[in-house]
Amino acid sequence: MEESDDAIRRAVLSGDKDAYRVLVARYSQVVFRVAYRTTGNESDAEEAVQETFLRAYQGLANFAGRSSMATWFYRIGANCALDMVSRRRPEAQSRIAEENDSEQSEVQLADIKAGPDRLLLSREIEARQQAAMSELTPTERTAFVLRHMEDRSTDEIAAALKIAPNAAKQAVFRAVQKLRRQLAPLWVNT
Amino acid sequence: MKHLNEAELIEHYYEESVDMADCERHLKACAACAKHYADLRRDLDGVKPLATPLRGEGYSEQVWQAIRSSLPVYEKPKRSWVRLGRPLGWAAACALLIAVAFVAGRRWERRQAPSVAVAVDPQARQRVVIVVLGDHLDRSERLLVELNHAGSNDISGTPLRSEARELLASNRLVRQSAMQAGNLNVEASLDRLERLLVELANEPEDLSEADLTRLRQEMNTDGLLFDIRVLRSRVNSQGAPKATKGVSI
Repeated sequence: MEESDDAIRRAVLSGDKDAYRVLVARYSQVVFRVAYRTTGNESDAEEAVQETFLRAYQGLANFAGRSSMATWFYRIGANCALDMVSRRRPEAQSRIAEENDSEQSEVQLADIKAGPDRLLLSREIEARQQAAMSELTPTERTAFVLRHMEDRSTDEIAAALKIAPNAAKQAVFRAVQKLRRQLAPLWVNT
Repeated sequence: MKHLNEAELIEHYYEESVDMADCERHLKACAACAKHYADLRRDLDGVKPLATPLRGEGYSEQVWQAIRSSLPVYEKPKRSWVRLGRPLGWAAACALLIAVAFVAGRRWERRQAPSVAVAVDPQARQRVVIVVLGDHLDRSERLLVELNHAGSNDISGTPLRSEARELLASNRLVRQSAMQAGNLNVEASLDRLERLLVELANEPEDLSEADLTRLRQEMNTDGLLFDIRVLRSRVNSQGAPKATKGVSI
């Protein structure tokens, strides 16, 4: 019979450090997914996952049980991913600047016109989308990922990002507006 | 007709509108808003979640091994009886406090009680003294009456002598009280009575008629009896005369 999350938490708090391994096994995939979607690259996501489980371990005694432990890990994961994006932002901006170079943009669009292959178009859309996502602020990006890709409610996003629900809603709105502006040429060209 | 703005359309897209049905009705009725909403849907539907690279089965173990050495061991909580110790300690402390308060209260009460009695009701104490004195004088008077009318056979029967011994102890206490209270007349009469009681208590068993007469003359028992009667009547009139009248003599 599978041990409950709370039983494991109690075991860890009683001094059984290795019991935490079960929680890592249980939630590492979910945390990796949200971290990857937020950060946009594997190494950052992996780093965010490790930081998530470190932070969670340190806060285990303060876990009040108001939400499930899965939600708790998820929120910490989203928050760690947001921090990771914030730390990487200067590098990302320079990368974005390169990717959005007007000459390169023309080449990309030329590829879309030239290639009849839908797979190629799909890749192009994905690349453009990633570039557009990179232009969002860390909070907008994380809020949008949680809302659009992870299907989380505004309240859940607010809790994960430690902001007010209205601020979370506004972050999603701004993200959508920015993305639409960035992705608009694609729809014109298709 | 009020059109839906972009924020409202986005809210509707994510199904977070306050009134979904209202929005739906408006979108059906308003072509302009329906067009905007269709564009929004196309744009957002086109934003697909990033395909997450798969993590192998060993991924969680890899994460665990990476963080394991950084995790401190939580201090084992103390045994349950130790945890219980805190409330038990409080209970014991409370019980001790109550016990100390009780003992202190009793001691304080004992110390305060006499002074309170005197301070609160000196008349009550006076009444007690009068009753005791009255009783003592009453018994002394009876003894003197018996002594004045007794023959040699009566004294050898020893009720007078044993009564004298009993009265001797109480007479000393009453006399000392009278002396402390500054009541010199009473003290003098009781002093004379005490000398008689001492003599009577120490007389030999085979007391002759002559010995009795000598004792009556030496001690002036008639005069002493008169003094005691006067004293008793004063005491009765001072204290609770109406209550003691019927009881004494």
